[in-house]
Amino acid sequence: MTTRDPQQQQMIREAMKAIAERKPGRTKLVYDKTKRTIVAVAEGTQAPRALNITADDADMFAVVTLSSQWMRDRWSDIQHGALAVTLSKWDGGDALTQADLGVQPSCDRETGTILLEGQAKEPAAGSIEIVLARGTGPADAATFVAPDGSGYRASCWREADGGREAIDVSFVDVQPELATRRSGILETNILRDRTVLLVGLGTGGAHVAIELAKCGVGHLILIDRDRLSAGNVVRHPGGISQVGRYKVNVLRDLILEKNPEADVSIHPVAVDYNNEDAIRALVARADVVVCGTDNRPSKLLVNKLCVEAGVTAIYGGAFRRAYGGQVLRVRPKQSPCHQCFISAMPAEATDVEVSTESDADAIAYSDRPVAVEPGLSLDVLPIANLVAKLALLELLAGEASSLNILQKDFDAPWYLWLNRPEPGTQYASLPPLSESSDEMTIHRWYGVYLEREPECSVCGDFLAALASHYGVDLASMDDLPAPPRKDS
Amino acid sequence: MWTLEQRQRLSLENQILIGEGFDQFQVYRDATYDSYSASGYATANSGRRYYLFIPIPTGYPYQRPPLYVTDPNPLLMYDGRAVSSVGVSHYMHTLTPHGTAGWPQICHWRDARWHSGIVLQKVFLKGLLWIEAYEQHLATGRDIADFLRTMAETA
Repeated sequence: MTTRDPQQQQMIREAMKAIAERKPGRTKLVYDKTKRTIVAVAEGTQAPRALNITADDADMFAVVTLSSQWMRDRWSDIQHGALAVTLSKWDGGDALTQADLGVQPSCDRETGTILLEGQAKEPAAGSIEIVLARGTGPADAATFVAPDGSGYRASCWREADGGREAIDVSFVDVQPELATRRSGILETNILRDRTVLLVGLGTGGAHVAIELAKCGVGHLILIDRDRLSAGNVVRHPGGISQVGRYKVNVLRDLILEKNPEADVSIHPVAVDYNNEDAIRALVARADVVVCGTDNRPSKLLVNKLCVEAGVTAIYGGAFRRAYGGQVLRVRPKQSPCHQCFISAMPAEATDVEVSTESDADAIAYSDRPVAVEPGLSLDVLPIANLVAKLALLELLAGEASSLNILQKDFDAPWYLWLNRPEPGTQYASLPPLSESSDEMTIHRWYGVYLEREPECSVCGDFLAALASHYGVDLASMDDLPAPPRKDS
Repeated sequence: MWTLEQRQRLSLENQILIGEGFDQFQVYRDATYDSYSASGYATANSGRRYYLFIPIPTGYPYQRPPLYVTDPNPLLMYDGRAVSSVGVSHYMHTLTPHGTAGWPQICHWRDARWHSGIVLQKVFLKGLLWIEAYEQHLATGRDIADFLRTMAETA
């Protein structure tokens, strides 16, 4: 809006409001050819060439967004004097959002002053002035409800280029509004107290973390030693501005942008035996562990620690070039563990995506390098979605949750998903999706029932079975000898 | 540091080596450092002897144990270079050499294939196969990979 005339601005506001509400107003908008702009005129004014301004045009005013809770917490300050507020300035000032509403504010800031009608502006300062006037009309987004229950309607003005410009004000109650879209489906009050440990924050793991945060999971522990690279960005939720940051830091900020009350702890460490004790301690804090790493040693370490601790773990991963993927849920001593899975389905256990340089390096030889393979984010996300859903089911199991209707649908330990009939695989000749009624196709989840391996080296009685096989009595084995001397 | 399960497993593995006719190898415990190793001389069909040495990692059996050839030292290739000089090599079936001693590390299972159901007897078995392939390399100059196929994943 270019006009600085307060009266003209007010008339435009009234006209726009009338348009937005699709009601006749006292003013209307016309195009002034001499000024080459839109102006507001009284309704009765003859304006044969008036433009047809629609309701979509009503969003032309900038908006200031403030936290109601933040205001309530400082209500006594506001009553006793003007209060300063720092605002993120977005899109050239089109949106001014309270800077501490989230963890990723704009670098461009403006300072505003909140004061009651008739109150002196000093000592606060800034180019934005938000005036609260005791309201009598119906409450709307611009109405602030004080701790005593009384409503105050906000008006806002911005000083710029020597003039004053009207700005809309919107108050938000962040947590209640976040919960609105979940209530009735997810029991946020239960999830708020739950803890999920996420190991590996690549494309899949990062997506799971954010989805769980959006669902209201209150405590998230993040482990990943990698930094976000430029090559990650086309798949990862982190953006190009975040390149170089540890993925745990990127994800912490993304999570807090979605769930500001979440408790996020970050651990930029490798998932290997050097950190076994530290990871064991984190597993002990978790209700569910989500493992999104792409290498076997880390998965088997997580498997061992989760079986030891009796914590359910969910492993998600894409096959090479993300032609499909798999999800394994391990309920210790109840369902097959990851080691049982390797024994039962060795080919599937080895078919993993090579999506990062570190993944490639882990399997490359100096004389036979391995390249990072292409894979689409949209082919990874179905797998991540199921991992997130299974994690929610674990967190809500045994609770009075409407989501538990899904427990009988997701009772298999292992799930298979195919994005395409990849040449060179056993799935190359799948029938087209549209022609198949009961044959295996792409884009369907298949739950597969596997049995635990009684002699599993992690969750079974491997030693006893091995001893029995070789006719050795575990209880009467001799002490091991000392190593031979180097000169012997 | 070592759990009862690990100690039992290593004692059992020693019994398996003996029971399976691999008694040239043995599992040892160094009480001074409370560390474990497994080692012994492998004798090739040619009669030459090679000392195979496995320092047991603290995460064993979940962590892959490395397998080194410590004698002869250095272990030379057909062209006179040390085997360890090729580093992680697909053609020589070797992994990263020992950090301080420089012994060549035989690739038995890579980390991406290792799991805790594999026993030391199978690791030594792969070491014996590698030694025979190495001798063929010495005789012909061809890569060890020409004589050893990369194993498909099996349980």
